[in-house]
Amino acid sequence: MACSWLSFVLGPQLQIGDMRPTTNIVVGASGQIYPNAEPGAAHQGAEIYRANGCACCHTEQVRPRALGSDINRGWGIRRSTGYDYLFEQPVLLGSLRVGPDLANAGRRMDAAAVLLRLYEPRALTPGSIMPPYPFLFDKRRIQGVLSPDALRLPAAFAPPPGYEIVPRPAARALAAYVTSLRQEGYLFEAPPPPQPAAKTNAPAKPMTNSPAK
Amino acid sequence: MSVTASPAHTASPSPPLSAAAGIEASCRLPLLSLFGGGVLWLLAGLLLALIASLKFHDPHFLANEAYWTYGRVQAAHRTALLYGFGVPAALGTGLWLLCRLGRSPLAGPWVVVIGAVFWNMAVVIGLGAILCGDSTGFESFAMPGYVTLILFVSYLLIALCGVLSFHRRATGPLYPSQWFVLGSLFWFPWIFSTASMLLLWAPVRGVMQASIAWWYAHNLSSVFLGFAGLASIFYFIPKLLGRPLYSHYLAALAFWTLALFGSWGGMPAGAPLPAWIISMGVVGTVLTTVPVLAVAVNFYQTVRHDLQALDVHLTLRFSYVALVFWLIAAAHQIVGALPHVSELTDYTWFPVAHWELFHYGFFALAMFGALYYIVPRLLDPLDPPAWSPGLAKCHFWFTSVGILISYIVLLVVGVGQGFLLNDPYFTFAIIMEGTTKQLRHSTLGYLCILVGTLFFLLNFALLLLRFGRRCWAELGKEVA
Repeated sequence: MACSWLSFVLGPQLQIGDMRPTTNIVVGASGQIYPNAEPGAAHQGAEIYRANGCACCHTEQVRPRALGSDINRGWGIRRSTGYDYLFEQPVLLGSLRVGPDLANAGRRMDAAAVLLRLYEPRALTPGSIMPPYPFLFDKRRIQGVLSPDALRLPAAFAPPPGYEIVPRPAARALAAYVTSLRQEGYLFEAPPPPQPAAKTNAPAKPMTNSPAK
Repeated sequence: MSVTASPAHTASPSPPLSAAAGIEASCRLPLLSLFGGGVLWLLAGLLLALIASLKFHDPHFLANEAYWTYGRVQAAHRTALLYGFGVPAALGTGLWLLCRLGRSPLAGPWVVVIGAVFWNMAVVIGLGAILCGDSTGFESFAMPGYVTLILFVSYLLIALCGVLSFHRRATGPLYPSQWFVLGSLFWFPWIFSTASMLLLWAPVRGVMQASIAWWYAHNLSSVFLGFAGLASIFYFIPKLLGRPLYSHYLAALAFWTLALFGSWGGMPAGAPLPAWIISMGVVGTVLTTVPVLAVAVNFYQTVRHDLQALDVHLTLRFSYVALVFWLIAAAHQIVGALPHVSELTDYTWFPVAHWELFHYGFFALAMFGALYYIVPRLLDPLDPPAWSPGLAKCHFWFTSVGILISYIVLLVVGVGQGFLLNDPYFTFAIIMEGTTKQLRHSTLGYLCILVGTLFFLLNFALLLLRFGRRCWAELGKEVA
């Protein structure tokens, strides 16, 4: 009991419990180090993510290049590391991929695409088994002109004429959270892919330990 | 070869019937409140599992209300199974074994009743909180902080009575079941308080949360529930066969190695944690081969001359099958931890298949075996009322077949999903479509387990009815 606790609770806490943002990655032109605390809307969205158990079906972790096809699939540019979660609360890495990994969802989707998927996943992916979340949206009568944030739905999923589908604040916050998910830069423990050796026409140099001719 | 005392042949003589009756009488109300609540929670959990499974047939099913969205229902299903059924059933069986093997009546029966009432109330609040969107988000630890506090205090009330009963035991050598029960009694507060403190009350930072959540979930299932189930199997199989357990030393080896190695692991191989933690998890899980072999050899040697005696007692039948499922689940976990396999099976339905087999196949069946033996004796130790054999047979077959269906479906889907996920040629939409079609068959498994549990509840109700009628008739005679 104590052995397991020392190995899996105290030991890791001593090693990574007081991690600080890394100065090895600088984000954008602002020169901020990585990671930064997420904006308020994204923080609220993380609460919606937690409340609805999104982590039951989505992971937020990219495996190393040598394990699986996460990076080849475009789910990230490098493996996830402890730095990526310093400002997450709670940290919901998930352990089942019924849906795709979301560690870098912000690189692949904009807020409009996330909202569309939340209202009716099949509008973007026919046959998707992701449940729709209509309770995060309002269906309301169009007052004069279409609201600027009304969903642009395909005809098959569009509301009746004269009505529009507008995201509630919870949906907007969730979209802000999902689009904030980006794991930036390369680190010592998560290096860039190895570059293939440059091809040249120069004759290969004899190796120093090759037998003398 | 060391031949230890079996529960039927302990070193001290069997307690006289009047003493046994006293022990059972002290356990009656506390254990019935733990078991009764537990079985109702199991039914609720299975209904939630069925709802979650039906969403793979039609994602629009019950989608309009936030309460019934998949993530919430699935978390509620696991919570109902682990905390509604798992912990009370483990505690109830554990207390009974401690009293029976220690030949001492239960200490503080009313304290246990109060603990059980508060525990069940906390689970009601916790499940309501999860469905209303106040879950913690952690797998196997979804109930919010204010509920964990009530759960912790209730648990301490119940477990303390168990430890006091053990303290008052008659002198004599300890039987392996007593080690397993005591181990589980102490294990839960340790892991539960750690998880509550470090995840909810004073949360640690970053991926440490994920590490602790995985460690907790692994310990809760593999060690706490594992010990409780094995305690029951170690008691009932030798007792009902009337044979001593083959080896006391092998049981000791299994206990200590399971405590040591079974508590490591639970992290996926690619998790963003320091490599040594994941490596230790893999090593620990692979080393659980030792307790698995120790348990397998011990029971094979104990039962090899009586393999045809499955029908001697209902409890024996459930315990045998639970043991076989435990061995399969352990082998599944060990194989799944091997590096080349985990690369394929992590984040797929493969670990879910293990979860289902371990909890429904091993733990629930071991507990049902114990209930079939304990409950009639609680009602009347001198002349225990009989279960309906037909209903019990239906319960056994529906449950076992249902578990096998859902396990095999999830296993096959998990392996297939792993192969597809590791090949970037297949888009995620293709993988999702391919796996969902097969996954839908697991609904049949949940349905069968649910029907089986309904048969058990019916049998339970009829047993109480028969007992009530008998009491009424006896009362009538006395009055006449």
